[in-house]
Amino acid sequence: MKQIFPLTFMTHNDIPHWISHLQKIENVIAPHKNGINSFSFGKVSDPKCVILNYDRTLSSIKKYFLPPKETLFSFSTDGKETTSSKVEPINAIFLGVHNYDLEAVFRLDHNFLSGHAESQYLTRRQGALFIGVSYTPDEWHFSNSVLKDGEPNHSGGFDLFLHEIEDGYLLETLTESGQNLMKGFPLPEFDGDIPKQQSFNAHIDGGFEKVTDVFSRAWDSPVWESYAEKCVGCGTCNLVCPTCFCFNVEDEVDLDLKTGNRIRTQDGCMLRSFSEVAGGEIFRNQKAARMRHRLYRKFKYISQETGESWCVGCGRCSAYCTAGISIVDIVNDLIHDSNREIGA
Amino acid sequence: MKPKVAVFDFTGCEGCELNKLNFEDELLALLEHIDIVEWREAMDDKSDHYTIAIVEGSISTPDCVERIHDIRNRSEILIALGACAVQGGMNAMKNQYPLEQVREEVYGCHKDLFPTLPALPLSRYVRVDYEVRGCPMTKNEFLKILTSILMGKKPIKPTHAVCVECKLNENECVYDKGMVCLGPITRGGCDSLCTNFGQYCTGCRGLVDEPDVEAMLAILNRHGLSIVEAKKRLELFNYENQAL
Amino acid sequence: MMQIFKSIPENMEANLYLPSMGTITQTHNLTKKEKWFEIQMPETHSFSYNPGQFVEVSLFGVGEAPISITSAMKNPGLFEMTIRDVGVLTEKIHALNSGDLIGIRGPFGNGFDLKKFKGKDVLIVAGGIGLVPIRSLIHTILNDRKSYGRLIILYGTKSSQDLLYKSELDQWETHPGIEFQMTVDQPSPDWHGIVGVITTLIPSVTLDLENTVAAIVGPPVMYKFVLLSLLTKGLSDENIYLSLERRMKCGVGKCGHCQINHSLVCQDGPVYHYPELKKLQEALK
Repeated sequence: MKQIFPLTFMTHNDIPHWISHLQKIENVIAPHKNGINSFSFGKVSDPKCVILNYDRTLSSIKKYFLPPKETLFSFSTDGKETTSSKVEPINAIFLGVHNYDLEAVFRLDHNFLSGHAESQYLTRRQGALFIGVSYTPDEWHFSNSVLKDGEPNHSGGFDLFLHEIEDGYLLETLTESGQNLMKGFPLPEFDGDIPKQQSFNAHIDGGFEKVTDVFSRAWDSPVWESYAEKCVGCGTCNLVCPTCFCFNVEDEVDLDLKTGNRIRTQDGCMLRSFSEVAGGEIFRNQKAARMRHRLYRKFKYISQETGESWCVGCGRCSAYCTAGISIVDIVNDLIHDSNREIGA
Repeated sequence: MKPKVAVFDFTGCEGCELNKLNFEDELLALLEHIDIVEWREAMDDKSDHYTIAIVEGSISTPDCVERIHDIRNRSEILIALGACAVQGGMNAMKNQYPLEQVREEVYGCHKDLFPTLPALPLSRYVRVDYEVRGCPMTKNEFLKILTSILMGKKPIKPTHAVCVECKLNENECVYDKGMVCLGPITRGGCDSLCTNFGQYCTGCRGLVDEPDVEAMLAILNRHGLSIVEAKKRLELFNYENQAL
Repeated sequence: MMQIFKSIPENMEANLYLPSMGTITQTHNLTKKEKWFEIQMPETHSFSYNPGQFVEVSLFGVGEAPISITSAMKNPGLFEMTIRDVGVLTEKIHALNSGDLIGIRGPFGNGFDLKKFKGKDVLIVAGGIGLVPIRSLIHTILNDRKSYGRLIILYGTKSSQDLLYKSELDQWETHPGIEFQMTVDQPSPDWHGIVGVITTLIPSVTLDLENTVAAIVGPPVMYKFVLLSLLTKGLSDENIYLSLERRMKCGVGKCGHCQINHSLVCQDGPVYHYPELKKLQEALK
């Protein structure tokens, strides 16, 4: 991409000051430590607690646009009064976002824009600015196997992007909004190139092109059953996925029995009850069928319409799988299995 | 007329019942819609007929068997309250030993005064309409189930694992903290209370429907438990579950 | 192409999930389990529909369920639905009467594409409660009878007590513009008609194979046998439409519950052209 704005340099010491500067403009949401080995996005109160050098966060920034649980409207049980819940634009600077998580937001945009545009998601989505940060791929990341621009230092779509170098960060300014964020925080220009990308440890053999090919004939593969045996069906893979958006809706009634709320909560296609149809039949009762559906959703169903993978290669479903199943292993096994079949 | 609600206890620690006394604010709101007619922990009134009987504890003596049938006969709706009533709870751990041995160990030379039976969930003796799971049960779930019933609607029985709620609460996975956890196979609905506070899931709410026990044992085994130890973990609250 | 958020789309609804309040204007019981309702939507709410579409019906505090529209579009904002009592929500809806309010979202789904039926002989195969959605198509055809060729209706239920719209069935039997046949599977002593599953009606029907379009609605188990029977008769895939029932929840293609393979039933269905449906491995299994 053609660089319009000059590259600048920031030391590690500059970072907290810079975050304080950003906080004067808008709320800043950034990664923080959560637990022993994990990270979460949260609203910054102390800039020193922000961690830019992290592997992945437990949940993606999706949670700000599509909360895990939300009230769609309130009602009186006699039906005489209904009130939509007020939804506000997020108006925040998302700092320290990895490339794959922004790509995931773009995919959610597509889902909530196409067909019936959904006001809850789209209203919140307004006013979000994104500052990316490069990362070092660990054993689970595989973004460049599925995304057209999946490199850890790919800055497309961001307003600003931080490239980690030895003694600090290079700041790439990509949009006018990004430039505006830097007003009043002058930085020295950097005369040099953006550092080379870090290489990935996990790969899908043959990349997304091969994936598209294999998913056109993977339906009856024995691979599904071989992984379903290990799967305990807990649904973690759906819940941590930055592009999963399925939900369930139910009514909760207040103790007065006169008022209540219609609530939606995140749901997942790996959960047994997800495909229950009227009359109680579970339509995808086998774990293998549910796993196949999940992967087809990531690699084929929406992809064949948009040309894009709906898996962004963040590695969350593998890293957090309680049964130790890796999505890369499943896909690679499907590829090897289909190669064997066609004698390649 | 307001529905008549009665509370009974069998073999258990009565923690679930005491827990109910703890939500004074909501209790007053509820009393707008129900009459509590029998509750040993809180009052002495009696009634012959109950719209809703809330029953805590497992069935573990011949006397219990008689009482639970009597309660069922006098109730329109019977709710099993807490792990003991729903799954037999920890009490059911005794079922792995010969009953005579258990009696001897507990009551010594007076054992003949105390007839005993295997500790079993209410549902082995009578029809149970609804369940409030957990050890102890949690306030929010109890109130949700009760308001559903009062609305004349079937309460939603959680079918997903604790992992679902734990992930929605964005907790670090217990396994990533070096502990083992029964969350992946334990029925949710508790809003992952224990893991929210840094603990692991002991499985107090019983197993999900059609649990994949083999896959769960493999997970526990991969995280350092022998298969025998892993089974024991699962049995703590699920000794009477046929899937184990 | 992937659509990325730039700004709020102009046509965006304020809240896709908030029902409008319809008023029940008429009701009556059709059978022990099925009750018919006529609903008037408020004038402020533009409400028009195609045969085969469905609405999401709400009772607040109880929940929401997809229900087929059973009428043909006539007066704006007016429609009919027939609801089988299968659970708590439907039981509570059955308890409602004229003048009561009911939450309605929709109409949703595609409905039958009338262009494919016009000028053709129409064969309708309805099993059990499948008559409810397809009645909207039957009425649409009857309201514009001259635009269609023969109208053949085959209807089967478990027993004669399950027959829906009985007075209408009587009219159809004598209607000069309808070739109507029905069968029951488990006849009661007072049943004098045809006995057997719905496919027993198919062999005796003569069809102009080139000029007939079939619409099939019924319980999932029925499809396989009816399809086999029609295809054996020589009807081509191209001339067959089916309506599917799945657990549609949001109705607007967001929640994911009704998805079979790549297809969202609430958006692409519930009516499917058979050649399309055949590509969905999960559809008729």
